[in-house]
Amino acid sequence: MRLLTHNMLSSNIKGVTNGFPLQLEVEKMVVKEVAFNGDFLKNIFPKIEWKALLDAAVAMGCGDLPENAEATMLDNEEFLRKFHHALLQLHLEEGALICPETGRRFPVSKGIPNMLLHEDEV
Amino acid sequence: MSFSLDVTECNHGLLSGIISPVRPTLGDGFGFSSAQAIVEPLTKLTRFLHKDPVCSSSIASTPDIEKKYVHRVYDAIAPHFSSTRFAKWPKVAEFLNSLTPSSVVLDSGCGNGKYLGFNRDCLFIGCDISAPLINICAERGHEVMVADAVNLPYRSGFFDAAISIAVLHHLSTEERRKRAISELIKSVHKGGQVLITVWAVEQEDKSLLNKWTPLTDKYSEGWVGPNSPKVRSSSSTILESIPETEDNCPNDLYKIRETTTETHCKDSEEERLKEQTSRDDGVPLPLEDTIMISKNRSTTSTSQQEYFVPWHLPYHRAEISGTSAAALANGLAKKDDKKGAVVYNRYYHVFVEGELERWLYPFVLYAFDVKPA
Repeated sequence: MRLLTHNMLSSNIKGVTNGFPLQLEVEKMVVKEVAFNGDFLKNIFPKIEWKALLDAAVAMGCGDLPENAEATMLDNEEFLRKFHHALLQLHLEEGALICPETGRRFPVSKGIPNMLLHEDEV
Repeated sequence: MSFSLDVTECNHGLLSGIISPVRPTLGDGFGFSSAQAIVEPLTKLTRFLHKDPVCSSSIASTPDIEKKYVHRVYDAIAPHFSSTRFAKWPKVAEFLNSLTPSSVVLDSGCGNGKYLGFNRDCLFIGCDISAPLINICAERGHEVMVADAVNLPYRSGFFDAAISIAVLHHLSTEERRKRAISELIKSVHKGGQVLITVWAVEQEDKSLLNKWTPLTDKYSEGWVGPNSPKVRSSSSTILESIPETEDNCPNDLYKIRETTTETHCKDSEEERLKEQTSRDDGVPLPLEDTIMISKNRSTTSTSQQEYFVPWHLPYHRAEISGTSAAALANGLAKKDDKKGAVVYNRYYHVFVEGELERWLYPFVLYAFDVKPA
């Protein structure tokens, strides 16, 4: 699971009003190289909740991202490279995603999050 | 049958939809339709979704019939199912190819992921309730997760486009089908697009043998259980022309009738129409009041729409998966020695003409100049 995916996920347990961002529990992470695409990064940037990406990257052992990010930084190649790496190349392989309100643990196994809810959570 | 919806922002903070008419292509034969529409603002949409909190949990929790005759079946047949799923439906391909480069696309109910990565300029995310199918997607390198189309776990408005291909007909109540549609619409931002395809009752090729089992009251009592969706028709009359196309020949996937509906919308009519289509509290009126598109359609309430559709899992495949022995033991599947296969039944709600459009109409403020094809 990429951190881009983490950035779009939100706990949808019944009654939870703010299920974003899910906290990362990292047992194993992997880096998978992927082609750099500056246009894609510029397009996706406005959708990204930066703080969530930053915290997730730190949880994955990557401290390269700046504390804050603005659209003007998208012209900076060095920034784009770091953004690219954190967003698309870091993968949570084993671990969990934790609902910020309820503490419910959504397991991630072989890179696949299981976001299915239990009967009493819907 | 399919319906594509573009959600775009217009004046007054409303969402409007521009849906280009999808013209049938010869040889394509799948039941597609499309329309232009103005779409409800998200706040209203949310109110519509939650207007009956008492039963919202029953909408979101999976009925037994889907667990037994959809989820467990696909879990059991996943590798075989996947090996037969590679042909792309032309209208889906056309839709995906039309997306702006760098779009983020959700495939809700992605199955074996045959559309994931279809447009190389877009980024795809797939989800399905079947873990075995999702494992197949992941092995192919796709970014996927196990999630329920009726309860999507995404931030609202994140996606540029969302597709639901041959998924809604596996949901066994109207409320759940409506909920899945609204989950899709919620997942895309203003300006985003949604494409939905479902199996249609109306079939062009009437010569195909009917191998589907209509779900009658008899079945619903014996197989389905007390909490199951009400079967629409008490008659066991079988609609002609439901082909068995999914079994062994993927190319036949296209052989479903295609319908086209054109609806045009007009922004200037918004205010008047807001009054027309919603009560004072903003809750949309009952569907019948807002659907102008269906007024000339014949009533279809007596049509048989609930079916069991067989999946023949060849014995050599069944041995590999190992789950079939259990399925046979507990009656979920039966042997067909003649065909040399373990036969699973899958639950289908096949859609009648206009039905899919009708469910989208709670999100639609106004449409006029309707010309049913």
